[in-house]
Amino acid sequence: MKRLAAAVLLVASGMPLAAQSTINIPFETITLPNGLTVVLSTDHTTPTVAVNIWYHVGSKNELPGRTGFAHLFEHVMFTGSGHIGYGVHDRLTEGAGGMNNGSTSNDITTYYESVPANYLESMLWIESDRMGFLLDALDLAKLNAQRDIVKNERRQRIDNQPYGRVFEILSKATYPAEHPYSWPVIGSMEDLSAASEEDVKNFFRLYYAPNNAFLSIVGDFDPVQVKAWVTKYFGDIPRGSPIKRPDAGPVTLSSAQRLVYEDRVQVPRLYMLWPAVGDKNDDRFALAVLGAILSGPRTARLTKALVYDEQAAASVSAGHNTNEDVGEFIVTITPRPGHTLTDLETAADAVIDRLKREGPTLEEVQKATAGEELSFVRGLESNLGKAFQLVNGAAIHGDAGYFRTEYQKTLAVTPADVQRVANKYLTRGRIVLSVVPPGQTGQASKPAESTKVQ
Amino acid sequence: MTRRIVRTLSTVLLGLVVTLAVGPGFSRALYAQTLDRSKQPPLGKTPELRVPTWTKSKLANGAELVVSEKHDLPLVSFSITFLGGADQFESADRRGVAGLTGAMMSEGTKTRSGDDLSNALQLLGTNVSVGVGSESGAISFVSTTARFADTLGILADMLKNSTFPPEALERLRAQRLVALEQAKAQPGAIASRVFPRVLYGDAHPLGQSPTEQSYKAITRADVVDFHQRFFKPGRALVTVVGDVTPAAIRPVIERGLAGWTPGGERPTFSFPALPTSRPTTIYLIDKPGSAQSIFAIGLPGPPRTTPDYYALRVMNTILGGMFQSRLNANIREEKGYSYGVSSGFGFGKGPGPFRTGGDIVGDKTDAALVEFMKELRGIVGARPITEEELRTAKESLVQSLPGTFASVSAINGAISGLWLQSLPDDYYQRFTKSVTAITAGDVVGVAKKYLDLEHLAIVIVGDRKAIEESLRGTKIAPIAYLDIEGSPAQ
Repeated sequence: MKRLAAAVLLVASGMPLAAQSTINIPFETITLPNGLTVVLSTDHTTPTVAVNIWYHVGSKNELPGRTGFAHLFEHVMFTGSGHIGYGVHDRLTEGAGGMNNGSTSNDITTYYESVPANYLESMLWIESDRMGFLLDALDLAKLNAQRDIVKNERRQRIDNQPYGRVFEILSKATYPAEHPYSWPVIGSMEDLSAASEEDVKNFFRLYYAPNNAFLSIVGDFDPVQVKAWVTKYFGDIPRGSPIKRPDAGPVTLSSAQRLVYEDRVQVPRLYMLWPAVGDKNDDRFALAVLGAILSGPRTARLTKALVYDEQAAASVSAGHNTNEDVGEFIVTITPRPGHTLTDLETAADAVIDRLKREGPTLEEVQKATAGEELSFVRGLESNLGKAFQLVNGAAIHGDAGYFRTEYQKTLAVTPADVQRVANKYLTRGRIVLSVVPPGQTGQASKPAESTKVQ
Repeated sequence: MTRRIVRTLSTVLLGLVVTLAVGPGFSRALYAQTLDRSKQPPLGKTPELRVPTWTKSKLANGAELVVSEKHDLPLVSFSITFLGGADQFESADRRGVAGLTGAMMSEGTKTRSGDDLSNALQLLGTNVSVGVGSESGAISFVSTTARFADTLGILADMLKNSTFPPEALERLRAQRLVALEQAKAQPGAIASRVFPRVLYGDAHPLGQSPTEQSYKAITRADVVDFHQRFFKPGRALVTVVGDVTPAAIRPVIERGLAGWTPGGERPTFSFPALPTSRPTTIYLIDKPGSAQSIFAIGLPGPPRTTPDYYALRVMNTILGGMFQSRLNANIREEKGYSYGVSSGFGFGKGPGPFRTGGDIVGDKTDAALVEFMKELRGIVGARPITEEELRTAKESLVQSLPGTFASVSAINGAISGLWLQSLPDDYYQRFTKSVTAITAGDVVGVAKKYLDLEHLAIVIVGDRKAIEESLRGTKIAPIAYLDIEGSPAQ
């Protein structure tokens, strides 16, 4: 991210059942000759507009030795472009009571603005100028300044946070070294230092082309006018070369890998990770429901057993994280004093095994999905939230209207589906990571069987 | 000749897909030569501010009722806001009882167990939240219109009939103790705990926070007592925003809240005197091995009622309220010492703090402190306010208003906020005029008045061994040492 901010949450739900006309985002998709996909959706409730552009490039497109580059590049995108000086973007967004930001994941890099409606043309001017003419304004000093800032971002989010390095340790353990999901989006300090001006240029030319970009515009505007603007500002940016996508398929683990990591924490914590599925595999809908049945409300199975009945844990969470090509089901448990990670692992496994054996009840599945309608309708209140949903569908699923499918498939999950995915994915092949205070590897779950990681 | 397909999904309900062929209007050659990218496009007309309207009345139990209609979506935001909070209703040795009481209201009622409450809310697809802050509290939910009355019924049950089971208190207490323990490892949490303690001292409510000791001292009787004193209609505002009409919703509310015993006084919000201000001092808290130093620099500020409010908002926007404010433009963007620095006032009923700071790379701790001090001296007069700074700050504040009304819960917050701070109903209509009237002279005036650079607390949490000597070398202020709780250390 360019800056820390309350993250814009993707509304994790979709679309209308036939009886629910409110579950709808009316939209229109156009594609320019240069390949740029544009999704428009009007909403005149407030005189504001959100602009969101996704480039289909993330850390998985990086090369070993250059990890963190996609995100460093995101920062460079805010340093001004061919016809627009540094600082103009901020003046025309936050200086008008709006905001701008960017975000990088394993799969995509996104840039977004929320502004008063009369600033929309200016946003298209800015986004098109940096898509077409970023390199005209690039210099090494700008790259170096952003490199320092990104290193501070890494320190602030990862190195100086208790448990901050957990996810990079888990990714490294889950995926083989050459697998593009094995390295962290933020990258390593060493690789960040190595990134060169030439790297920036090559990366930009290949990935920041209109044929690799998806633009959504949501809010208070006239669609005829906005279509003309989109053509005016983006139409003359040339199509780029074809892109070879990295080979990043899902993985399986044949056996349990037990790890222990010493961190500057006061309280130990247990993480269990099972490789699961990516965005395009429909098992993710049942996996999401499985997460909601295991943790969250006090009646969820792991929460009820560990936090309420046994009172052995201070907190528990379980859920499926998906990326474009891969996903992971992760359980996190923080113990209460006097309870060991070994005991908690055993207790959690007992709960999960029973669910695998018996499956959930229909009521458990209903409770897990009953909030979908409200969460969808609340998502409609945010132009930015809608812009994210539409562009996510267009970029990842080739259909801006994918939110419908998502909603329907979530509500269609049955107890049998949940039982099936629990048995299919929550297997013996998993990572069990204990994070313990310095010098306390004995606090790990089954310490004798656990390998120390740095 | 270019043709492309435009897919219009005008209504998903009918599955209507319209296919249009678009002519040469989208061709790239037509615009390529004529576009001058060096000029910013014209802005067009500034959209008119649309402030929601609302009706006010009183419920039979004495609570005030505000209803604001918004019918574009089938949503309702409901809240009961209470005037006064933990700083008025907690004693110094029971800090944390407000939060515990709020959490205990989900633990069961006379007719529903904690699990029953949870199950019912899950099936309604929503959640009732109870929160008590330092000077106000609220119990609230957002639901679909269809589920409103049922959800209100559960909220009312929690409000009126909670049973506060003793075993639940023990569980919640234990969870909070673990959270306190975890926070000891988090440099940012340490700074946020110690900074107010340094500013206000242990005897002032603004200097206090829950401790291991206070959590351990809280009894079930304390919780029951807090609940009885705090959640009273006599100091409450009921706010309903969304797909409702005042005439139709009022009886639903009256029915839903029937049996909630009247009573409750509005608190007076008197605060003890501030401790004598001390000359500017660096308070260094050792966190060995820290990759960054956490800065919290500031002093007690004015209450929300200050007539200088608008000038202070503009001043802070220029100094540290935005990304391109002076502090961040310098310390992050130009120097690269941080991922982000900012400043702000804690405007409330009491003398909330002015605080600036951020997370600074360890080996630039001294250099960053020099820059913070430079920018603070700048805003109190050393660096004149430019026309553009003033204009941008004012525009930013004025034009952020539409976002204040973007959702039913945001509108609820905006209306309840006016009531909490005793601000007039036409506050938002007058906001633009009040901000626009601020001059560069006003900005420097309030900076001088409120940013007393001779009496700042500079709290830094970092690796003492690595940063102490260079900090002393800045000669900015003497160094005092504190432990992670904010008590004097060696």
